[in-house]
Amino acid sequence: MQSNLFVHITIDRRSTVDYNEQIKESIKALILDQTFYYKTLLPSPKMIAIHLNIDYKYAKLAYDQLIQERYIRKIEDDQYEVSYFELTNYFFDRNVAIYDAIIALGLTPSIKCVEKKVVTLSIDEQKYMGFNPKENSKYFYINRLYLGNMQPIMILENYLPMTIFPEIDQNFVGDEPLNAYLDQHYNIKAKLSHRTTQAVNLTSALAKYLNERKNAASICSTNRVYDQNQVLIDFGRSHTISSYYFQALISKEEISEYYISR
Amino acid sequence: MDYIFVNKILKTPIYKQIAYSIISAIEKGDLIFNDKLPTEKEICQTFSISPTVVKMAYDFLISEGKIKRIKGKGTYVTNRSHYHSPLHQFYQVDRVFMDEIDHYDRQVILVDYIDDDYSAYRMLKLNKGEHCFVFIRIIKNHRNPVLLQKIYLPEKYFPKLESSDLENQRLFDLISKKQTQPIDHLHNTFSPINASSAEALLLNIEPDDAIYFVRTLLIGEKNQVLGYVTNYFPGEFTEFEVMVHAI
Repeated sequence: MQSNLFVHITIDRRSTVDYNEQIKESIKALILDQTFYYKTLLPSPKMIAIHLNIDYKYAKLAYDQLIQERYIRKIEDDQYEVSYFELTNYFFDRNVAIYDAIIALGLTPSIKCVEKKVVTLSIDEQKYMGFNPKENSKYFYINRLYLGNMQPIMILENYLPMTIFPEIDQNFVGDEPLNAYLDQHYNIKAKLSHRTTQAVNLTSALAKYLNERKNAASICSTNRVYDQNQVLIDFGRSHTISSYYFQALISKEEISEYYISR
Repeated sequence: MDYIFVNKILKTPIYKQIAYSIISAIEKGDLIFNDKLPTEKEICQTFSISPTVVKMAYDFLISEGKIKRIKGKGTYVTNRSHYHSPLHQFYQVDRVFMDEIDHYDRQVILVDYIDDDYSAYRMLKLNKGEHCFVFIRIIKNHRNPVLLQKIYLPEKYFPKLESSDLENQRLFDLISKKQTQPIDHLHNTFSPINASSAEALLLNIEPDDAIYFVRTLLIGEKNQVLGYVTNYFPGEFTEFEVMVHAI
C-alpha cells in the first residue's frame, strides 16, 4: 500500500527551494486535499530518499517538520502516519454531540471523565458565564476528554446549575454523552448553543491531556447552551488541536447579499 | 512622553491625570500595542512628582488591562483591538472596519506571478506551468495587524491583475470586478497553528503564539476552484461567534 503513495510525492530538481521543503509541502498538500487521510501509513523517510534519489537527511528533515506542524506522527521506528484530521461541518449548523462527530470521522468514540465535583461560583464568575447570579449557588462541574480510537480529540469542561439538575452529581457517571443524559433524566433538551471561538496556546495541564506539547495552538470554544425554554442550562469550554469543526460553506446568496448591502 | 499631561492646579488626583492621559493616547492610536512607556523615574523627573504617584498610575492601568510590566524590560501597552465577527462573515474583515476609515489600512507586501507552488497548486487544481498571481497583504486597524492574507488567483480566471487592485479595494470587490467566471460559494476550513517567526513579525505577535488559520477556496458554478486564500488571524485578538441549533 505504501508504495502506491510514492507517485504523489515529487520534487523539482531545478527549483531553488530546498528538497526537504519541497517534500514537506508536497506531503502537506496531499494531506490537506485528503489524498492522504487520517491514519494513512506513509512511506518511511528512507524509502522516500531512495525513491527520489536524494540524501536521507532531506526526507528525515521534512518528516520532522511535518511532525512539528502536527500533520503526521511517528508510531514506531521509521513508521509514520497521518495525524491531521478535520471534524467536519457536523457542528456548523446543528448542535450535534461531539460523540457523534467522532463517529462521523470513522473513529470509535469514548469519553474519559477527568474530574467531577460540586463547586460554588462567585457572583462575578456566574455573571461571566451568563447565569443569573445568586450567592452560594452550587454548580456541577465536569471535565471530560473525548477520544477517537483512544486518541484524545477534545477536552471539554461544563458547569451545570444544581438548581436545574438536582442530584446530578450523584447519578451522572461521567463517561456517558451529556445531552442525551439531560434529556432522559430531566426532560431538558439542549436546543441552542452560542459559541465563541479563539485560537489559543495550550497550558501545560491541557497539553498533557491532549497528548500535545505545551503552547501547541488549539481552538478554544466557549459554549453557552440553552434549553427549549431559552434558559441557560450549561456553560462549557472546550479545547481541541484538531482542525476546526466548522467547515463553513458560504453560499452564493450570502456573497450576493454582501455585494448589495455594502 | 508628550502624550502625558499633568495640571497640578486641578483637584483631580495626579495619578488619575497620568493614567487617563495614557488611556487617551491609546484610544487615539498615538500609543499602540507593544509600545514602551516611560519608566517611572523618567515621569517623576519630568513632572517633579513622587514615585508613589507614578506607581499608582501604572498600577491602575495594569488593573485595567491597558499595560503590563515585563521584569527587566519595562512597561508596555497591552491594549489591542479585537476582531470579533460572526463565523459566517469572517471574510468581511474589511467591512467591519469600514467606518473607521482613518484607522484602517490594507498593505500589499508581495506581488508575484508564479507557475508552480506545491500546496496552492494542488488546492487550485492547477498544472505546473499555468500562471497564477500571488498577493500577500496585511489588514491593520490602528496600525495593529488584524489579518495576514496570501491570495492566489489563477491568471486564467483573473487576467491582468495589478498590486494596486488589492491596495485600493476589498477582496470581494476585486473578485466581482475582475473575475471571468462567477463564484458559487466559498469553502473554509478553520485550524489552529503556531506562528512561525515570519508570521509573528507580520502579525505583531510572538513566534509560537496561536494563529487562527482559515483556508478559503473560491468555488465556481462548475465546481472549478477560482481562487485560494490563506488567512492568518492573530489568535488571542480574534473571536468568531456562531449559534448552532439542535436537529
